[in-house]
Amino acid sequence: MASVKLTKVKKIYDNNVVAVHDFDLEIKDKEFVVFVGPSGCGKSTTLRMVAGLEDISEGTVEIDGVVVNDLQPKDRNIAMVFQNYALYPHMTVYDNIAFSLRLKKMPEDQIYERVTNAAEILGITQYLMRKPRALSGGQRQRVAIGRAMVRESKVFLMDEPLSNLDAKLRNQMRAEIILLRQKLDTTFIYVTHDQTEAMTLGDRIVIMKDGYIMQVGTPTEVFEMPANLFVAEFIGAPKMNIIKTRLLHENGKYYVTPFGVKIEVDGEKGRELAKRQLGTRDILLGVRPEHIVLDRKGGGIPCTLEVNEMMGSELHLHVYTEDETRLIVRIPTIDLETSERESLAQGKKLSITFEGKVMHFFDPETEKNLLCD
Amino acid sequence: MKKNETEAPVMKQHMGLKASAAISNTIIYVILVIMSIIWLIPFVCIVLQSFRVESTYIVDYVVPHKWGLDNYVKLFHSNFTRWYINTFIIALVVAVVQTVIVLCMSYTLSRFRFKLRKGLMQFMLILGMFPGMLAMIILYRVLDDMGMTGSNSLPGLILVYVASSGMGYYVSKGFFDTIPKSLDEAARVDGATRAQILYKIILPLAKPIVIYTILTAFMGPWGDFVFARYVSQLKPLGMNVAVGLQSWLATDTMTHDNYTLFCAGGVVVAVPVAILFMCLQRYYVEGVTGGAVKG
Amino acid sequence: MKKYSDLEFLRLSKWERFVYKLVSFFAAIPVGLKNGVVGIGKFFANVFKAIGAEFADLVTTFTKGDWKTKTSYLVMGFGNIARGQVLRGLLFLLFEIVFIVYMVIPGGGGYYLKMLSTLGTEGPSKGYNEVLDTYTMTPHDNSFRILLYGVLTLFFIVAFIYTWRANVKQNKIAEQILKSGKPLRSGKDDLRSMVDDNFHKTLLALPLTGILIFTVMPIVFMILVAFTNYDGAHNGYTNALFTWVGFDNFRTMFSWNVGGVNYAATFGEILLWTLIWAFFATFTNYFLGIFVAMMINKKGIQLKKLWRTILILTIAIPQFISLLYVSKMFNLNGLVNGALKSLGIIKQSIDFWGTPWIARVMVIVINIWIGIPYLMLIATGILMNIPADLYESSRIDGASGWKQFTKITLPYMLFITGPYLLTSFTGNMNNFNVIYLLTGGGPTNAARSGASGSVGYTDLLITWLFKITTGSDTKYYLASVVGILVFIVVALISLIVYNLLPSVKNEEDFQ
Repeated sequence: MASVKLTKVKKIYDNNVVAVHDFDLEIKDKEFVVFVGPSGCGKSTTLRMVAGLEDISEGTVEIDGVVVNDLQPKDRNIAMVFQNYALYPHMTVYDNIAFSLRLKKMPEDQIYERVTNAAEILGITQYLMRKPRALSGGQRQRVAIGRAMVRESKVFLMDEPLSNLDAKLRNQMRAEIILLRQKLDTTFIYVTHDQTEAMTLGDRIVIMKDGYIMQVGTPTEVFEMPANLFVAEFIGAPKMNIIKTRLLHENGKYYVTPFGVKIEVDGEKGRELAKRQLGTRDILLGVRPEHIVLDRKGGGIPCTLEVNEMMGSELHLHVYTEDETRLIVRIPTIDLETSERESLAQGKKLSITFEGKVMHFFDPETEKNLLCD
Repeated sequence: MKKNETEAPVMKQHMGLKASAAISNTIIYVILVIMSIIWLIPFVCIVLQSFRVESTYIVDYVVPHKWGLDNYVKLFHSNFTRWYINTFIIALVVAVVQTVIVLCMSYTLSRFRFKLRKGLMQFMLILGMFPGMLAMIILYRVLDDMGMTGSNSLPGLILVYVASSGMGYYVSKGFFDTIPKSLDEAARVDGATRAQILYKIILPLAKPIVIYTILTAFMGPWGDFVFARYVSQLKPLGMNVAVGLQSWLATDTMTHDNYTLFCAGGVVVAVPVAILFMCLQRYYVEGVTGGAVKG
Repeated sequence: MKKYSDLEFLRLSKWERFVYKLVSFFAAIPVGLKNGVVGIGKFFANVFKAIGAEFADLVTTFTKGDWKTKTSYLVMGFGNIARGQVLRGLLFLLFEIVFIVYMVIPGGGGYYLKMLSTLGTEGPSKGYNEVLDTYTMTPHDNSFRILLYGVLTLFFIVAFIYTWRANVKQNKIAEQILKSGKPLRSGKDDLRSMVDDNFHKTLLALPLTGILIFTVMPIVFMILVAFTNYDGAHNGYTNALFTWVGFDNFRTMFSWNVGGVNYAATFGEILLWTLIWAFFATFTNYFLGIFVAMMINKKGIQLKKLWRTILILTIAIPQFISLLYVSKMFNLNGLVNGALKSLGIIKQSIDFWGTPWIARVMVIVINIWIGIPYLMLIATGILMNIPADLYESSRIDGASGWKQFTKITLPYMLFITGPYLLTSFTGNMNNFNVIYLLTGGGPTNAARSGASGSVGYTDLLITWLFKITTGSDTKYYLASVVGILVFIVVALISLIVYNLLPSVKNEEDFQ
């Protein structure tokens, strides 16, 4: 139950590689913050600096207003769950969970209480006398969480806790972490490379790349208003289509001209453009696959179907336009008649279009969102 | 028709495979049996000759004409008991102290990242390229000054064996490196000090390598010849079994009057050591393979 | 020379590729040498830069420091005590007192340092002993002690300078910490950190002290001995002092004629045999060991455990027993000759240990007997780790058993055991036990009998070194020269091989 504040935190390795650049973030009490980004973006390093497993080269980390830079991990009042669980192989589940409490010299009956309590919540009571080796991945994960839980610490750190699980189990554990969070009611910092996890778990998401923060925001914010091209492509699956094109400002109206087809930017997006008084220019236009529709009226963007992936509830159509740009179109299966669906074979000529309100505009040079401040 | 044509050779090849496997297995068995005989002969001979009582010198036949325990009885009325006790005490102390030192060294080099770590390891690599025997001359003089040579060589020998054992960190460091670092980190978050991590987490997990280290440290002094000879200066009370038994054979007569005695002594030394080794074989194999793979 | 791109290289024939690789290898040598020289130069430049920086820091710390810091330049630990870190301060102070006392007391560090340049001025004097009615020697200076304690004193001075510098640095750090308003670490904190963040220092203290005193110091000492005339006739105390002779001993070692002895040829012959021995001892064991391991591991072979156990006997039984016994088995009147005679194969005993070339072959063969089990164990471990799918895919590709061995098993083994092969090679160069216990270096090489240590045909450098220092005519200085040369040879081989080994480059324990 504590706030965490990182001020200008920097990590420079011995070989002068800078892993994290001036990381600024304030995490409120009981907030669930997710660090997400591709591998090597510095998210784990940042987490480990909060934990005290990695020296902080510059800047300060505060937990509950106390600078913890020089404190040992054990003195920071944190708990941590590791990617490979890091269960002590020679100890039983009970001893694993009790390990930190024993080091604190807590009386055995209190330890018993806490461990069985945690085991109850996590549903691993029947495994308490087993060694980690005899557990499945999901069970090990629960033990690791249990070990962190009993410490009743101020901050709960999780470093890619689900990435070693198979897809099905991952979905299940994700839901359980949400429930766990409600029970524990503490501050969470969660690191993952999986944007779905980030979107579903986080109150706020910190998207990182090459040691820099690309954007901090709620899941809705980062999805609907990605601050830059990287965030736009990173969040959402399949990833956003990016089209090199021009923004036209004619007679007080805005148009984009993807592949020679002129589409008006109407509604809110148009008003936003007008508010910023943007003139005609080159842009990168972003459109999410689910926002592209098949155009039955004509006048859309002509393209050819290359691959048709049937995902069950939806179709992913990989198409290429006349200038060989590849786009992905995502269509709910239910929107299509059976005959139309079956006609979508390789080589079929299609026409696609999208509306102004779903467009994202990026500057080709800075890759920043033109509508973001 | 066509089908049959393609099938026939396949069948033949199949039969051929089986037959050739049988032939090659037979050859292998023959080689293995011959090897086993070659490997066992010296040990069988030494045991047989230790029971020979009709003569004590070197002869050109194996099976004794007259059997008896005379050599063993004589053994226990000679300096051999003293050598045996000497070696045993040395081996015990070395096993304990050397293991502690090696584990300290390898744990540190595996787990801590301090400024001089790389330099230290390179330095030890270079040190290892000097013939250790070179140091013997001066160590002998120093030990001599401290009165730890000749008949009183026990403490001196222990000191020599143990002192530089930190340089033999390689195998156990390799093993420690395979224990995931996240266990240390988890324990640190859980509130363990570095010392607690060592004896609560790492050592229980490193049991095979600890046993390997103890075993090799214990066996070393039984076979050491050079240092023991140098430090004891062939004073009977200060020798270990290796120097002692060699002194029985080293006399320049061609017949070697103490030959059967040497055989008996060899058996008495070899049997317990070999049994111990065979019991702990599993750990030895683990250490040796791990060490070679790590380089 | 022309550099090929990857695609061009692939177009070359087998022969052209070989030539190309050979040429590039030799072309790389000058570059490597240049890099080496530049590296050494850079190293020294960095060292000087670092020393310069240290001095600069000493001056700024003094001028900017408060009076507590300034006093600490003279009285070590004063700043610590004045700022409340009593434990640290007292340790510093104690060290300084011990150092000063050691340096100034008569017969202490000062004396040894002064004598180090001559290794003693007053040799033993001959005097008439009336009681015994003989002349006896009365020793005075002791060259050995002077050299030994002189070296130790130098070590001590370096340690003192380092500690003194640490003491100054601590003052600077303490001032900074106090300025930023934080408390200093107490003695209790210091003690606690010994089992936690400074645990490595605690752990390393004992092993490194041992290595320093029992390995580094003797090596430094023995390197210095190579530049003296220390031998049995100049033992530095009771018969005559020894003193510095510069490079004389090295000149002796590389001369064709010193008092009728050709040391250069002696050394050359022994070195050549040492290298031949190391080569055969390493590679026969290596390949035969792999071979045996593969035989035992082969599918369908029964009693695997039994075969292994029988072989392992040679590891389990102390080497001196098996080696000495086997050596006697091949005696003139030993078991082997007896058996061969009774089988009627020979009439006259074969002098296994008296004929140079037979003795040389025999030590290599018996070494195989000793060595195969180790290699079998190692190879078994590695063979089991070779991914089975490599063999499966190669079988589908149509590889025969032999092809599988040469294209999969062997490269894999060589890659993984590359560093092991190197250490095993250098280890065999210094394999004292096998040679000394089997032949004692014999049979004697009459042509080289003049050289110190009664050189034999199977002598390695290391056994020669041993003989030089133990025989009736001990020439320690010569032994030191041999030792240094062994080091140079081993270091050169290691350096070259290390740079060629792929697995060494990938060994980096990067996390």
